Amino acid sequence: LGMTIAYVASFVGMIFAYLHYKKRERKES
Amino acid sequence: MITFQFLDWLWIVLFVALMVFFGVYFYRMGKRSQSDFFLAGRGLPWWLPASSVYATHTATDTPIWVAGVVYKYGFSGLWYAFFSAWCAISAFVSTRIFRRSLAYSQAEWQSLRFGGLGAELLRGWLAGWQVFMNMFILGWVGIAMGKICQMIFGWDLWMGLFIFTTLGAIYVLSSGYWGVVMADFQQGVVAFLIIVIVSIWGVVAAGGPDEIISRLNSYSSTVEWEVPADWENRRGAIRITDAETGKAVAESDGSFAIATAISEEAQARLESEAAAMIKSKQEEMAGLLFPTAEDEIQAGEKYTIVWDSGDSDSRVNVDVTADGGSSWSRIASQHFSGQAWRLNFFSFTGMFEGQFPVAWFITMMIIALIGGFGMGTSIDWYPEAQRIQSAKTVRDASYSIWAGSALVLIRNSIWAAAIIGFFVLYPGIADSGEYEMAWYRIGFEYLPVGLIGFLFAGVLAIHLSTVSTHLNLGAMYATRDFYHHYVNPKASEASLVKVGRISTFVLLLGSFVFGVIIGEEITAWLIFALWIMAAGVWLPNILQVIWWRFNSWGYLSAWMANLGLSWLVVWILPRFGVIPALPDYLQFWILIVLNALVYLPVTFMTKPENLDHLVAYYAMSRPIGFWGPVRKEAERRGLIPSN
Repeated sequence: LGMTIAYVASFVGMIFAYLHYKKRERKES
Repeated sequence: MITFQFLDWLWIVLFVALMVFFGVYFYRMGKRSQSDFFLAGRGLPWWLPASSVYATHTATDTPIWVAGVVYKYGFSGLWYAFFSAWCAISAFVSTRIFRRSLAYSQAEWQSLRFGGLGAELLRGWLAGWQVFMNMFILGWVGIAMGKICQMIFGWDLWMGLFIFTTLGAIYVLSSGYWGVVMADFQQGVVAFLIIVIVSIWGVVAAGGPDEIISRLNSYSSTVEWEVPADWENRRGAIRITDAETGKAVAESDGSFAIATAISEEAQARLESEAAAMIKSKQEEMAGLLFPTAEDEIQAGEKYTIVWDSGDSDSRVNVDVTADGGSSWSRIASQHFSGQAWRLNFFSFTGMFEGQFPVAWFITMMIIALIGGFGMGTSIDWYPEAQRIQSAKTVRDASYSIWAGSALVLIRNSIWAAAIIGFFVLYPGIADSGEYEMAWYRIGFEYLPVGLIGFLFAGVLAIHLSTVSTHLNLGAMYATRDFYHHYVNPKASEASLVKVGRISTFVLLLGSFVFGVIIGEEITAWLIFALWIMAAGVWLPNILQVIWWRFNSWGYLSAWMANLGLSWLVVWILPRFGVIPALPDYLQFWILIVLNALVYLPVTFMTKPENLDHLVAYYAMSRPIGFWGPVRKEAERRGLIPSN
């Protein structure tokens, strides 16, 4: 459970980062 | 259970009044802007962040895990705490590079050093990981407070954890980083006072330095033994032989019974029997003193094996059997005779064998001294980074990191003397969950009326400053790096401070979950968290500072691999019986190698960072190490003078 919480928190952060990057890319094109 | 008198309560009431005053006073300053809420306006002189660095290295769990290693390994155990010497190097290397970059936090620095999609993903990953990490830290700090309250008031473990961590949350919600720094400062002063008082008291209670040394010289020999859980309903025997000659030093006279379960009273009786055997030279008994053929011990429990080695001080090997001697298993090799070895800082047990191998020491030296060239090589870096950035100038930042950690190392030595005193008073405790409370037991059981209340107020101060530090830091990551950066870039200052407060509350709840996961044995979790957990990213944390070619993909892959590998190697696989529990220094090197097999190929298979981005970073931060191509380009563009 401890490891799972760590992975989930980190991946949620990374997914938001990916969506943010893609959104910015679309805006620029 | 400890009883508080009027004078004790007076100290505690005075302390709480002081906290309320600080909270209300700084509430107004924290509301001015998020730079004030998170960095105190970046204008602090070096001695304030220095006391704060010292205070973040001092939490309610610190005397617990330091006692855990010193009770077990003697003064040699102090080297476990030496990892914080990374600060001495960092103060003049990575601290300066970081302060010059003007980044609020490590995640922000990473976006200056790395660019493109990789850097964006890395920032998101680290923001999420930091939220987890601060929950984890608050979890073990809360458990430590729970254990202290259990000892003093007889409360359940969860009461102390819940009440005092929530109190810290209320404090930090009202006062922000200004309140954190001021709590750290007063905690630094109060904590240093009580640490000195309790430690001197501990040494005096054990009879003073001369008495401690002469007693250790007269005590019988001991070794810790955890009886295998599947040895129930068998009869065991112990054999101790000279490691050089192989001659028998002591062996069981007959065999002792190993039961499935014995009563708590019987267990306590065994423990006091072991302690009595350690303390007294047995004129009429020699050889193996505990456990003897009359004793019945419990499978799966920990015991102290005691024997009299006469005047010999040669090294011994200890073997145990549960099948009448047809097969023996070794539980200690190259182990010491007597107890005088506890006073030696360098009581090595060989290159790779025994409880304190030279290889372990070399590993620790590498971690402590080379770690200062990186950022994040120790998890303490993340709160220290906030301290570094709140200092007035680059020089103030350097001085504060150096002075704060020098105090920490001096403080650890004072503690260790008191814990050795505790060993003299109470030898033969085999359960680390019990002996790790040594320092607190000296304080609460030996101090006179009045001082006990002062000690508890000091413990409260330590607890609240640590809790408020990590709630504020976790909230800063959730607010600046997650909410403001990804969810709502146009958020107003007022709504950012509000999100900061909501995330503080979420961190508080998460910390209770980790409290449940950690349970009662703090020392092993702290060795994991302070050291082995970051093993796989230890080298990448240095490479990112000193090597231009190391890119965000390599760094991100190291983090993703290390998170799983470290939990698997240290906790999950051993608990499911897939691999044995390895010595900690071996875990460190295994994780370094396994992770390098991931991030080195990834780094070389992906492109270096964009040169424009690297040049801008180089001109701003002036890193050291292997930056040749970037420096040449920066000189060509006239951004830095060529030499």
